[in-house]
Amino acid sequence: MAVREETLRRYAELVADDPREFRVHGSVYTDPDLFDAELRAIFERTWVYVGHESEVPAPGDYKTVLVGTQPLIVTRHEDGRLYALYNRCRHRGAVVCRQERGHSNFFRCRYHNWVYANNGDLIGMAQSTGYPDDFDRSRYGLTPVPRFENYRGLLFVSLAPEGPSFAEHIAPVRRYIEYWLGRSPAEAVEVSLPPHRYEYPGNWKLQAENGTDGYHGNYVHLSWQRVLALAREATVEESQHYRQSGSARGLAGGHGLLERPGSLNPNSSWTARMMHRYPDYDAAMRRRFTDEELMQISARRNIFVFPNLFLFETHFRVIVPKAVDRTEVALYVYALKDVPEAINQGRFRGHERFFGPAGFGTPDDIEIFTEVQTGVRARGQEWLLLNRGQHRERVEDGEWVGHTTDEAPQRALYRQWRRLMADA
Amino acid sequence: MPALSVADAERFLYAEARLLDERRFEEWEALFTDDAVYWLPIDPALDPAQAVAIIYDDRKRLHERVYRLTRTPVLDQNPPSRTLRLVSNVEVTPGADGEAAVDCRQLIAEMRPGGPGQQGLNAPRLFAAHCHYRLRHADGAWKIVLKKVVLLTADEPQYNLSFIP
Repeated sequence: MAVREETLRRYAELVADDPREFRVHGSVYTDPDLFDAELRAIFERTWVYVGHESEVPAPGDYKTVLVGTQPLIVTRHEDGRLYALYNRCRHRGAVVCRQERGHSNFFRCRYHNWVYANNGDLIGMAQSTGYPDDFDRSRYGLTPVPRFENYRGLLFVSLAPEGPSFAEHIAPVRRYIEYWLGRSPAEAVEVSLPPHRYEYPGNWKLQAENGTDGYHGNYVHLSWQRVLALAREATVEESQHYRQSGSARGLAGGHGLLERPGSLNPNSSWTARMMHRYPDYDAAMRRRFTDEELMQISARRNIFVFPNLFLFETHFRVIVPKAVDRTEVALYVYALKDVPEAINQGRFRGHERFFGPAGFGTPDDIEIFTEVQTGVRARGQEWLLLNRGQHRERVEDGEWVGHTTDEAPQRALYRQWRRLMADA
Repeated sequence: MPALSVADAERFLYAEARLLDERRFEEWEALFTDDAVYWLPIDPALDPAQAVAIIYDDRKRLHERVYRLTRTPVLDQNPPSRTLRLVSNVEVTPGADGEAAVDCRQLIAEMRPGGPGQQGLNAPRLFAAHCHYRLRHADGAWKIVLKKVVLLTADEPQYNLSFIP
């Protein structure tokens, strides 16, 4: 045990929460043993996003997911309820479902034909006379995950029976999720399948850090800004000015966000522009929300929900760690419910323009992830700096609030990372 | 109105592949009609109005794509991709109004060269695709009205596809 505790203490020491020079050690991106520890200490302990209920709308619908590297099935039973089950036959351990998603009345293990209902109940097996009459099938259903939550349609699991409740986990970021939902007057979204999926040869935290990084945009996305200028949508100067406005926030629990200010002026926010363009949308939004709420709703935010989810204007971004230097990311575009069709179609086309493996933005970000993954192998000086804006950061309502280019969200992420890794 | 023979279609497709392999993107763009669409679906059975695609470019978006590759400081194509395209199994279906449909298979080999040990570089990739074109004869030449590229791995996670597949 002494060795194990020493190892964990070493992992915790890889984040230096120094008040002037917050640092992380390069091995957090490169050490395969540390990656395995992250799966145990983070992905299998805290709350992990597994999908949206609109992906499995009808009884019999299912999707399969990885939590860390463990295969699960999220399924809707004929009773209409959702279940999150380990994808593993209770007999000899084979998966009972191979598809990414689909519709089925049951799950059958192909090894010896053990058959399970969509809620996991064992309902039969081949040549069942080989088991005694008192064989209790109710003890051998597919194993449900210890904890499963449906929060406003967003589905989360925890593979740990104990630990902070979902309500505690989500509390620091909850109000921002509510504002994000508020762009729909029904306060609901519907995922449009299939997702964009990309993979890169780099660590999962590079994506987690980047989605709330307000510092890189004017450099990494200069080519995007030039495209906007070509289309006469914004001059490069306007784009760069916009990227200086708003704030970056680190929240308790490792969550964070990058925020551009809200506005009821059609020239200054997407929501106000859509309300101006579509009178039905304007009426529905004003019926549902006060001006004060609309100011919050119209703020544009990239919201990071620790450890594997971003909520963006157009999509859910789900991070799937595959290996210490291999990560898959899925972008689930969603429609806003009860808005004019043209708004959602415009959002889809706008999404494709920047995001995804052939968008005008995502590939530039991925290029940087591979550059970091290569660079951190140089070990002359092993620490990376996440100290931007520490001197000017302020604390408001328990949030670390910084300039839009400051690294407050990244520091919050690594504070939580350190807490969980030290406790492993 | 000339009919499009298989030999004509092959000549056209080889010339297009050469323009892309030689990174003559602005000349490639000129092969498209003003109402053209360049489409890489994730699921070709879905209506692009209802689902996102890897690429769904109208003519304006296609121009932005070429402009971005050729005239802006892109990171993801610096160093640029080398590509080598094989075009095969060409089939022509005559259409109405001076149009013809062309189906073919393409195998695209791609690699970005770089220094030693660079993640994401020096790694050859192969893309196999069903391609469907609609060509229209206008002003004495065949032009592309639709180019639809369905990758064998369309619904798998993709590393950058910012070279033009």
